[in-house]
Amino acid sequence: MGGEVRKHPTIICRCNDVTIEDVERAIEEGYQDIESLRKRLRIGMGPCQGRTCIPLLVRILARKLGKKPNEIPLPTVRPPIVPIPLKLFLKSKEPGVEGE
Amino acid sequence: MRADVLIIGAGISGLSIAYTLTKRGVKDIVVVDAEYVGSGSTSRCATGIRASFTSEEHVVLMKHSVELWRELSKPEELGRYGLAFDQGGYVWTASKDESVELFRRLVTLQNSLGVPTRIVDPDKLKGLVPTMKVDEAKAALYDPTAGKSYVFDTLNAYLMACRRKGVKIMEFTSVRKLVASGGRVKAAVTERGEIEADTFIVAAGGGSKELMESIGIEVPLKNLPRHVMITEAFKPVFSPLVIDWDAGGAPFIVQTKEGNFIIGREIAEEPEKSLKSVRIDFIPTAIAPIAKWFPWLKYVRVMRYWMGYYVTSPDHHPIYGPVEEYENVYLACGYSGHGYMLAPVTGKLIAEWVLDGRPSIPQAERLTLRRIREGKLIEELAIVG
Ligand SMILES: Cc1cc2nc3c(=O)[nH]c(=O)nc-3n(C[C@H](O)[C@H](O)[C@H](O)COP(=O)(O)OP(=O)(O)OC[C@H]3O[C@@H](n4cnc5c(N)ncnc54)[C@H](O)[C@@H]3O)c2cc1C
Ligand code: FES
Repeated sequence: MGGEVRKHPTIICRCNDVTIEDVERAIEEGYQDIESLRKRLRIGMGPCQGRTCIPLLVRILARKLGKKPNEIPLPTVRPPIVPIPLKLFLKSKEPGVEGE
Repeated sequence: MRADVLIIGAGISGLSIAYTLTKRGVKDIVVVDAEYVGSGSTSRCATGIRASFTSEEHVVLMKHSVELWRELSKPEELGRYGLAFDQGGYVWTASKDESVELFRRLVTLQNSLGVPTRIVDPDKLKGLVPTMKVDEAKAALYDPTAGKSYVFDTLNAYLMACRRKGVKIMEFTSVRKLVASGGRVKAAVTERGEIEADTFIVAAGGGSKELMESIGIEVPLKNLPRHVMITEAFKPVFSPLVIDWDAGGAPFIVQTKEGNFIIGREIAEEPEKSLKSVRIDFIPTAIAPIAKWFPWLKYVRVMRYWMGYYVTSPDHHPIYGPVEEYENVYLACGYSGHGYMLAPVTGKLIAEWVLDGRPSIPQAERLTLRRIREGKLIEELAIVG
């Protein structure tokens, strides 16, 4: 998503290149909760886990729906909170992996 | 409220059924979901699509489904990319001689049913899956007709097409129970009032069992937690979904269209356990066998980990179609981990049951609740992704 070229796109999700226009269009298409918007647009699904874009998204959605930001349910938080290198989960003794 | 057809569940099954019914001329369709569209197993799945199974029922139905995935991914009524099927294939690796023997038997069965699987040697495997370390592989079973799709694009394509055709989708509306009298289901009682309909379709995934219990029908489904993780995104590395047949718990890896790797493996679990009961031990268990094939994975970071239910029937085949007690209710559930790939054919079959009284694919008739009541279970060996 977010692939359309505009003259002055305002990117609100830097990890996944989602613009305000993408968000507004998706809301008009009927995606009116954070969980659905997140899945439709990949907003908040990047390596920063939505640190900057989810609060912005909450405010845009609240404005569009005429609600207060604290009335918008936040998305599920899934572990880990920050991306973790997989080698930390691998035993160094694992045959075939060691010394690669 | 009233509808000609009420579909309970807006996962990929419910949407595919709604879409197929509109194509066959049904006008007044309502789809209700307790949460948002796709919130059940659908948006948690690994999106693998294949016909390389081991039972005739699965192979035949999946083959139809794969054809429909292709058909519905042309730029037609489902938008520019349609269902967005990416036919990148599946490879099952074998590191034991007896598995290669089994693969040979499977290839014979699958080929006889028109699925062009074949055995490939490690060199060929390396060509199919660049960057794979194939030293331990004896051979692989390759299914060139299999593939994947991007779940949110696929759901969106179905959803937009349903809306355009006038299907009413009611999200955040949970059905508490069904009400029946005189051999017919009359209404669905929701938290926002009753919905009456001529025909009811229960495509409610893990909620189907309870809904049917409310009208006295036992559908023996178990909700089995499954775990998956996703890594950061990279450039396209390989297209097939890769499964390790011999590692136990069938570990797999697949790269999404966005570049992330989805990795999963079966771990011992209890049915009905909460989807919030995180098992961090899943991550090392799933990674260990996959990192043998792809040593570079150790430099990759895991972004998220989640759980979803395999809504499982006693013989790991779907439960489709009518039930004897009621003339106007149809089931579409119990896919045991394969409901995503089945969705297009699910839509076709259920629409045929509703409109023509029977499905056009004879193998589907063996998949009603009756087989379970009569104890005629079907065997399947390849239950994974
Ligand atoms: C980790 C994992 C990996 C998987 N990988 C694959 C794969 O690679 N390939 C594949 O084909 N399949 C896979 N699956 C299985 C696949 O996800 C499911 O079979 C498929 O999504 C089922 O779709 P559905 O629409 O029938 O059910 P769901 O998507 O579960 O939809 C059912 C809907 O019904 C709603 N509902 C339930 N009860 C009620 C009620 N009382 N009132 C109103 N609404 C209700 C729910 O909210 C839900 O949205 C996987 C599953 C998991 C968990
Ligand atoms: S800015 Fe949106 S996920 Fe990072």
